[in-house]
Amino acid sequence: MRGGGRLALLALVGSAAVPRPAAAYDFTVGLRTIGQGYQVRRFGADGNNELLSRRRLTQYMDLAVFDLAPTRWRGDDGDRNLLYFDASLRFDSDFGGYTLGRPTGSDEIQELKQSQLDILYAFLGGKNVGGRVDFELGRQIHFDLVDFFAFDGGDAIVHVTRNFAVQAYAGTEVRGELPLSAPIYEIDGTSAGSRDPVTRPGQASALRPLVGAAVLGGRDGGPLTGRLAYRRVWSATVDRLPGEPASGINDEKLSATASANWRNRAYVAGGARLNLLVGEFDDQQLLVKLRSFARQWLTLEYSYLAPTFDGDSIWNVFASGAYRDLRGVYEVGIGTEVKAYARGFARFFTASGHAGGASVGATWRRGRGLVRADGYFDDGYGGRKLGVDASARLAVKRTFELEGRLTGYQWRADLATDGAGTTNDGGVVFGAQAGGRWLLGQGVRLHLLAEDNVGTYYRSQFRGLAVVEVDASL
Amino acid sequence: MMTRGRRFSAMAAVLLAVAAGAALAAGTDAPSPLIYPAETIPLAFDHAQHARLGATCESCHQTAQTSTSATDNLIPREAACRACHKIDRTQPTKSVPQGQGAARCAACHVGWTGIVEPSAQLAAAPPAEPPRVVLARPNLKFNHKLHAMRGIACALCHVNADTQQAPVTRADLPMMASCLGCHDGKQATARCSACHLTEPDGRLKTKLVSAATMAAGATGPLAPSGSLRGGIDAHTATFKREHKQAGREEKYCLTCHKRNECIDCHGGVVRPPEIHPSDYASLHAIDARRNTPDCSACHRTQSFCVGCHQRSGVAPDPEGGLPGRRPNNPFGTGTGLKTFHPPGWARDATGAPIETPRSNSHSLAARRNIRTCVSCHREESCLSCHSADPTGPRVSPHGPGFGATARCRFLAARNQRACLKCHAVGAMELTCD
Repeated sequence: MRGGGRLALLALVGSAAVPRPAAAYDFTVGLRTIGQGYQVRRFGADGNNELLSRRRLTQYMDLAVFDLAPTRWRGDDGDRNLLYFDASLRFDSDFGGYTLGRPTGSDEIQELKQSQLDILYAFLGGKNVGGRVDFELGRQIHFDLVDFFAFDGGDAIVHVTRNFAVQAYAGTEVRGELPLSAPIYEIDGTSAGSRDPVTRPGQASALRPLVGAAVLGGRDGGPLTGRLAYRRVWSATVDRLPGEPASGINDEKLSATASANWRNRAYVAGGARLNLLVGEFDDQQLLVKLRSFARQWLTLEYSYLAPTFDGDSIWNVFASGAYRDLRGVYEVGIGTEVKAYARGFARFFTASGHAGGASVGATWRRGRGLVRADGYFDDGYGGRKLGVDASARLAVKRTFELEGRLTGYQWRADLATDGAGTTNDGGVVFGAQAGGRWLLGQGVRLHLLAEDNVGTYYRSQFRGLAVVEVDASL
Repeated sequence: MMTRGRRFSAMAAVLLAVAAGAALAAGTDAPSPLIYPAETIPLAFDHAQHARLGATCESCHQTAQTSTSATDNLIPREAACRACHKIDRTQPTKSVPQGQGAARCAACHVGWTGIVEPSAQLAAAPPAEPPRVVLARPNLKFNHKLHAMRGIACALCHVNADTQQAPVTRADLPMMASCLGCHDGKQATARCSACHLTEPDGRLKTKLVSAATMAAGATGPLAPSGSLRGGIDAHTATFKREHKQAGREEKYCLTCHKRNECIDCHGGVVRPPEIHPSDYASLHAIDARRNTPDCSACHRTQSFCVGCHQRSGVAPDPEGGLPGRRPNNPFGTGTGLKTFHPPGWARDATGAPIETPRSNSHSLAARRNIRTCVSCHREESCLSCHSADPTGPRVSPHGPGFGATARCRFLAARNQRACLKCHAVGAMELTCD
């Protein structure tokens, strides 16, 4: 070790050894182990229906440390958690039978990776720092009405006035091909499992810088709010050949969302997203929610969505249409125990075709019990389904709760065909679930659930679920 | 037989009747039983009469102005009443001249005469007492002293207290809407945790169920009632499915929820039964074809859907799409066992690509919802025909006049790598002219 390095090490050890006042941070640690055994319908080599037995083991590890800032930093109103750290890690292994055995070596299929360890998020956060700034530094997930994304980097919101704030963020997009990264919020349209060199599979593991900015108007929960945001993601060209561009944009969006609340009686919200990659408004939404009596709401919603993909995907240039939706929901709370709803939707495909449907349902909570029933029917492009679902939960005692569910539906999908071209995918399914939730001790919970389904294609399709949760605050 | 018009009218009438019935049955705004649990106040008291006689709030509720906790019992004790009511515990039925405050026990302790049954005396039991006032601890923070110091009058929060002819009960306690009249972030803090109890991490405590809250009618965790924010945050029976608009306010959701609760559904590993019923695998193709609910809200098709379809053999290339390797599954072209798509979907009987769309060919499905295709196929499936490669069929995937569209210009300007998957470097088409 060189002299400078030794000196730095000594200084580090020395500073750690200097006595200082003990800091009382709050910790929460959450461990959740989920084991699942399930069966998936597949088509055997002879074309018949078979069940593929699979298992899945998932381990979540959540850690949060709060109140990292000195107490004297707290404002007049005693803001807690001025500085905090929040992280969630997940190990997920999906294993069991494959149709043809799992290809290995150079034939290994990216999408069939059996086990992976992901950092879902891990960041140092600040709230109301100096009375003006919120920030997050690390791996983070963000969402708003028309966007959902994850990146490694920094994000800061400066509250310039009570009704106006500016936001800026920068980093690199979280991509499944990078270590400890899940593809959950990655832009769709390209596959890391592609083998054809024409699709440029190496591009999947390229780092993608991301920058974004937004202006926010109105105060949280105020009568008028608005947000105008811009985001760009790009990447350098991997294995670049002469004449090819040095880089390309993978995502570029300008979005505006706004809401208005009139006396808590009427709420109007909407948003539009201009996808600058394709030069089109690919997402438009408008919602009106009316509250008539104390606990009655009528919601009317219109939306337009045109599928768009990663800038590297060829599907952006395909002649594909969009769809428009009209939705309506009526909800009512009857007394303190019953909530009921009726909803309907119609979807119109701009290319041609439509689909629509309706559902009704209610929940009834009384004392230690909860009963819920739902029914639905929809038809049109894609197929038809008609079903009912009834579930119940009962807290037998403070530490033990029973649950059960009955499901039945009939469906016909515009899907697989036999050799003569006749649609043959449809049938009925009846399912039953039973389980229990135990509180084994302070912060320790066990959830067991068994499910069996009987249907046109099988006499029994089993699924078992076991969840052990440990939550601790230190 | 009913005509169509009459049927419609009858249905409309039924719907209206149901709506009217529901409107009448709908509950009114009432304090949350989770915030103000059940209590027992077996007293008779006329606030209005005392106010008329000149009593102020402080003259009876003497500790209110110094109380710093919502759990303090601020109901006046007997000593406070004695200032006007000449109570004598040895004379439970004591009469007083007209115009003076009643001194009978039963005047306040309804139905209690103060006369101890002889049998109780014989058993040497302690003197019977009137039914006790039982107040449960509210699940709230409140500092009366702080509010009093700022000159906030009692009546500003306890609006109708001085006109009530009965004791003030939990039903009359202030609700959040009245707090927010001042707690607007300007006059006073708007932080939810200023009043609500919190977990160690600063989120609001929502699991507040206890015997006292259940006795008041509480049935679940604390959740927004929908009386604020125009009801967009109301956790109704459809909220798990329809919370997109409420979810736009990320910071507000995180007031109560942990971030990983979002991931439990949006990227989780356990099927949420409220969204997907049992054996959803049988049913999902219908939803996927019409993309409702929006699959992309939780699943990345090229990772999640393609991966699962490959595991279960419902994919064109379960062996990984290796160039030159024939698909080995029942859906494979030519297996004759089962075909996912009808004859003539992509190729005609001779195996040649279909260039002119027909009613049963794939182009119509792709135009309706290309995401359905993307859930099984990777780009190379399409590139086998839709490419400008001179050795292939060269079927254009673009619509008519694509070169003149904004989409062509924007894409060509921002990322030509996608174009170069089909077109050669420097090709004329890349100029979008």
